[in-house]
Amino acid sequence: MAKLRRIFQSLTVQPLWRETLPKVLALALTHGTNLRQAQWLLRGFIFTGLLLGLGAKPSDTIVPVVNYPSALFTPSATVHTDWPRAQDISDSFVQVGENDDFQLYADETTLAFKVVDKRSGYIWHSNLDEAGEDDRLNRTWTAFAQSGISIDYLDQKATSERASITNTEHTMEFKLINQGFEASVTFLDPSITIVVTVKLEANGVSVEVPFASIQEENPDFKLGLLYVYPFLGATRDESIPGYMFIPDGSGTLIRFGAETKAQNMFYGRYYGADLGIITTLPYDPTINRPYKISIPVMGMVHGEKQQAYIAIVEKGASYGEIQAHPAGIITNFNFLYNAFIYNQSYFQATNRSGAGVTTLQPTTNAFDVAIHYRFLTGDDSDYVGMARSYQEYLVEKGVLQEIVDADDDIGVRLEFLGGEKEKVLFWDRSIPMTTIAQMSDILNNLNVQNPDVIYYGWQPQGASTMPPGSLRVDHKLGDRDELGLLVEAVAAADGHFYLYLDPQAAMWGERGYSTRRDLAMSITNANLVGYNRYKVNYYLNDEALSDLYTSLSTDVFTELQAGLALDGIGSMLYSDFKNNHFLNREDAIQLYQALLAENGGNTAFYTPNDYMFGTMQAYYDIPLTNSGYIYTTEAVPFLQIALAGYVPYYGTALNFSSNLQADLLRHVDFGVYPSYFLTQEVTAKILNTRSNWIYTSSYEQWHQEIEQTYQWLNNLLGPVKGERIVARQALAEGVVATTYSNDKQIVVNYNNAPFSDGDLLVNGQDAIIREVSP
Amino acid sequence: MKRLIQITLIIAIFALTNIPAQANSPYTTWALGPRGYLVMTQDAYTPFAEIDLPISGAEDMFITPGGIIYIADTGNGRIVKLDDFELVASYGEGVLQGPTGLFVDNDGTMYVADAQQDAIFILDSDGNVINQFGRPTEPLFGRNREFLPRKIAVDARQNLYIISEGSVNGIVQMNTNGNFIGYFGANSATMSLKMILQRLFLTQEQLEQFIKNEAASPSNLAIDHQSLVFTITAGINSWESIRRFTIAGKNIFPEIFGSNTFRDINVSENGLVLAVDSDGAIFEYDLNGTMLFVFVAHDNGEQRLGTVRNPTAIERYEEYIYVLDKDKNALVVYETTAFARQVHDGIRLYMEGFYPEAKPYFEDVLDYNGSFIMAYQAIADAYFKAGDYPNALVAYKYAEDRSGYSQAFWELRNFVLQQYLTQALFGLFGFSLVFQLVKRFDRRYHWFDPIRKWVKDLQAIKLVDDFLFMFRFIKQPADSFYYIKKDLRGSLKFALLIYGWVIVVRALTLYVTGFTFNSYTSLSDIRVENEIVYTVLLFFLWNAANYLVSTISDGEGRIRDVVIGSAYSLFPYVLFALPIALISNVLTLNEIFLHSFALNLMWFWLGIMLFIMAKEIHNYSFSETVRNVLITLFTMVLFVLTGYILYVLFNQLFDFISAIAQELRLRG
Repeated sequence: MAKLRRIFQSLTVQPLWRETLPKVLALALTHGTNLRQAQWLLRGFIFTGLLLGLGAKPSDTIVPVVNYPSALFTPSATVHTDWPRAQDISDSFVQVGENDDFQLYADETTLAFKVVDKRSGYIWHSNLDEAGEDDRLNRTWTAFAQSGISIDYLDQKATSERASITNTEHTMEFKLINQGFEASVTFLDPSITIVVTVKLEANGVSVEVPFASIQEENPDFKLGLLYVYPFLGATRDESIPGYMFIPDGSGTLIRFGAETKAQNMFYGRYYGADLGIITTLPYDPTINRPYKISIPVMGMVHGEKQQAYIAIVEKGASYGEIQAHPAGIITNFNFLYNAFIYNQSYFQATNRSGAGVTTLQPTTNAFDVAIHYRFLTGDDSDYVGMARSYQEYLVEKGVLQEIVDADDDIGVRLEFLGGEKEKVLFWDRSIPMTTIAQMSDILNNLNVQNPDVIYYGWQPQGASTMPPGSLRVDHKLGDRDELGLLVEAVAAADGHFYLYLDPQAAMWGERGYSTRRDLAMSITNANLVGYNRYKVNYYLNDEALSDLYTSLSTDVFTELQAGLALDGIGSMLYSDFKNNHFLNREDAIQLYQALLAENGGNTAFYTPNDYMFGTMQAYYDIPLTNSGYIYTTEAVPFLQIALAGYVPYYGTALNFSSNLQADLLRHVDFGVYPSYFLTQEVTAKILNTRSNWIYTSSYEQWHQEIEQTYQWLNNLLGPVKGERIVARQALAEGVVATTYSNDKQIVVNYNNAPFSDGDLLVNGQDAIIREVSP
Repeated sequence: MKRLIQITLIIAIFALTNIPAQANSPYTTWALGPRGYLVMTQDAYTPFAEIDLPISGAEDMFITPGGIIYIADTGNGRIVKLDDFELVASYGEGVLQGPTGLFVDNDGTMYVADAQQDAIFILDSDGNVINQFGRPTEPLFGRNREFLPRKIAVDARQNLYIISEGSVNGIVQMNTNGNFIGYFGANSATMSLKMILQRLFLTQEQLEQFIKNEAASPSNLAIDHQSLVFTITAGINSWESIRRFTIAGKNIFPEIFGSNTFRDINVSENGLVLAVDSDGAIFEYDLNGTMLFVFVAHDNGEQRLGTVRNPTAIERYEEYIYVLDKDKNALVVYETTAFARQVHDGIRLYMEGFYPEAKPYFEDVLDYNGSFIMAYQAIADAYFKAGDYPNALVAYKYAEDRSGYSQAFWELRNFVLQQYLTQALFGLFGFSLVFQLVKRFDRRYHWFDPIRKWVKDLQAIKLVDDFLFMFRFIKQPADSFYYIKKDLRGSLKFALLIYGWVIVVRALTLYVTGFTFNSYTSLSDIRVENEIVYTVLLFFLWNAANYLVSTISDGEGRIRDVVIGSAYSLFPYVLFALPIALISNVLTLNEIFLHSFALNLMWFWLGIMLFIMAKEIHNYSFSETVRNVLITLFTMVLFVLTGYILYVLFNQLFDFISAIAQELRLRG
């Protein structure tokens, strides 16, 4: 025992106060995790994140509420249909459109609309006609609920004011158009004009707000936020059974209830926060940030398997956000909607100690808004139906294309770390972790099919340096000819070979870019700082990014015949406020799409946003769960269902799993292919490098595990390869059945005890595949 | 009845386990890695559930071995009992006002510390008051001492250990009748530099206006299954925030990686220590104080599962950790992962001394995370116990256990010595024989004369002469410095060469010193550039300060003399540092005396040489020399201070200018 104590004597545990501030800041940027530094890391960052909303009220019920926020295994409540429906259309509404499935009515004073689903007769209300006696709505909220659109406008001091149609002086021009209406509203106080177009389409209703129509005539006021039909499908407390769907993680449901654990509504900015406004994403390796919202979709179910709608933002998502209110926060309504940000205030520091002023952004964000509300009925009215509707939408738009792969074996993502550098004396030494030759040996020996092989850290000096503009491999790893042979060998074995690239990242403290010329700037005129894979980086501006990507991808696609596994660019979206070179988030999306289209080749993405789905050969690091907000009810495989049958998706590396069996079960349940991180050398060699977040990777330790898990998953998921998911239900607590389009069903039993039902038997912690009659 | 409750609880827990923890953990988990770095690792605990309870501002919680949860519902002035997370009973309503400390023994007797009434209550399992008492009346308690009970624990012999707020004497120990037994486990007062300075310069009256320097009082406690008391203390150095006391009141917990805002501590039956701090950082240790895992489960307003806002108590029951959150009025539950279970199983065996049995567990752990240093230690100990010293040596090096390494090396060296000692002795004998013979023949036939002549010719080269001059300092230091002063021997060129040489030797010794004696555990940690900069700076400061000081105090030395003299004074380091470092490779900790003695001798010699240098070069008397050297050192310190002040000032200036520029750009 004495020996153990001695380890500690050899450690220098130093007091906190000896740390000086600059050291800590430097540390935050260099990913130091030394003992005393870690003390700072562990507590320093926490305070910065402390937000509002303390002081929970003691619950007055005596029955404790056990909350499993993501118990996706609960069987759906028995379908009951005896809930009250508000099925009347008041006289102020006139019919403005009709097609095979729907009728559209509109009220020209409030711009509210109602949709009659002719298939079921169900009426969807976009607003609250009359506030009830028990409704906890004040005048502002009542107006908000009654009006089709509301805005927040900002004055020069950046104070914000809410204006809804029914409680603000306004002028309105309402005119009917084919299958809908167009209305121009001018809010007189701030002199802001907005034109809204509502139209009936085959699957529902579309709402558009073109940017060209927005006028801000009084220079003292700016349009801040635009709320689009916030009360569409709103329900009181638990009067209607059902849930709201938000695209957090793989997909998340918030069931309707009388009260909620939430203290604030859920705000979810599509594609994450804009670094152009917030400048830095503080580096804190001790936390796992919540998932970014990668698809601009939300929805609501009124009675499971009865009625539902899904809202897809076609245009303007980069400045949009979901706001979801569970009943119990401020009001007694469950509602969720899209809001769009046109102007924001930001804090401009004027000295280094942090003093400064709050000001408004100089120009209004330019983007069009287009939202499609698709209404579902009957069996489609659940999250599976929503996901399929979204899939349909993507296919119709030509975004989602089937990635054809002939054979019946599933893929596996094998990501190899090539090299990483370590500081020795005055210079850096690269540590070869997996050479090209070693990689090809491993691939020859490993008994798996269809591998997606990714080479990370292939560039000279390895993973934490800037990738070169032309294809040059670190000389310790091998040369281009060897790489070419390996690419051919992988292709011959029905696999895909990708080089890892984060084309946005300008690695902090590295050479290979000019800080003056090549970097994007935030609104406060500072370089954007963020991090990816636990490495702090700046972000390149559009020119530098295009140059790097164009020159490198030409080499990779045409000469090497390999693909690029793109990190960053698919998920990180920032505006660039560089002088005379402003680029907003919408422009950035256009630019990225054009860049990828111009340089055609195989590209796979890490957690891409929807705008990259069109050029995606594979989806990596797909979330298997949600962020775990305690007011949400379940995590569901919405994203997986939307992609199933079209694009293969792979999970996060299983090396880092702390409960392997549970994670594998979820892979089977969601149809996710496995991923592993591999190196030939022992992982301890990179302990002093910036890649030390890869704490276990050696082939020696993992190869058996990989083969076993691959075989197990392949037996289950192989038969449904390339098939769409058509249904998913819980057979019992902890037992889930997912049905595919070829009438095969996978049953996963998360319980420890075996599950049997008729001739179905699933062992504890196991899964089976069976045929079902359609 | 109790049996039934136990069974239902077990069933309830089992039902819970059916639902695997699902949400993404909001934190990353860290373990102790090489060189005291924290390394990221697989999660040890995953968020499991958050259970709202009808309580208010609860300050303490106790889980019985049967799994019944008792909570001190501070805001409602009662104790609540939970079964299957449902409130089944509440006790002490109307009697208790603000219970903040709670302990429940095997009979269900509740011991409560009430902060509103500053009294201890003992309730039987039905909630009837058995006894209640306040401040002890014994004079031994201290006449002016207050009794402010906040937390309580009871050992197997029914001794009450009570945390009294602000008690500088430590824990108050009482019996169940309310008699004072004694104080236990006090912290020691710490003295900071600031306090020392205050004591030096302030008058008695001024001093009394400051807060008295008293020991911090412990803030919470736990008792393990050996009836040893653990305390945590908030507000003191994080590395001594957890203490484990023997019956005699001696702390046997080592310095740890801890927190200075610990709120509660829990010790499980199988020797795992859990502690939570006010930020929601949860630490796990083994009984020896080795940190196993740490993660920060802090709620920053995002309301994610598995985060806490204001934790007040932590308990472990089976595979679950329960944290009581005073702001949320909820229990936050974490589940042990498969990975952590592996670690715990290994540690249990290791702690009981079953090293070989524990080894496979730790080998598995290393498969999952090769940086988990605790595992190397356990594996090394297993090898050592099995007599596999070469493997033990390697594993100890990974585990950075110098004494373990030294012991394994001793065994290996012993083996080598036994095997080759005779050969070595014969070899040595043979070598000296040949040496004597050659010497004798040389005397007769002058074999080596050409070499001698060559050396003599070489001496005509100035640098070679300067080099040989160095060896003169061993026998006649005073004379030799006189030669320098008179420009007879030595040169500036060679002096610079010596400085360069010292720098090279300094860097080399860092690399070649054996693992046992090297202050760096890994050679890659050595920051050579820093060492070089420091050494050069030191040379510069010494020479500049010494020359400047001497010129104004009648020193005769020119700057040239000081530089050359100082260089030659460094010869003990130049000649001996490297050999000492090399020899350290074959020494073990048993011979540490040899190593440190040699090193000290070298430094002492170097100091003497510098002293003699100052005396001779400047032609001082002994007392003048002492004064000169002291003033030189003082001047060096002042140089550094001035440099620092200038740095700060320029920084401010830069700040000022950049702020103006920013402002202009924004407004203009």
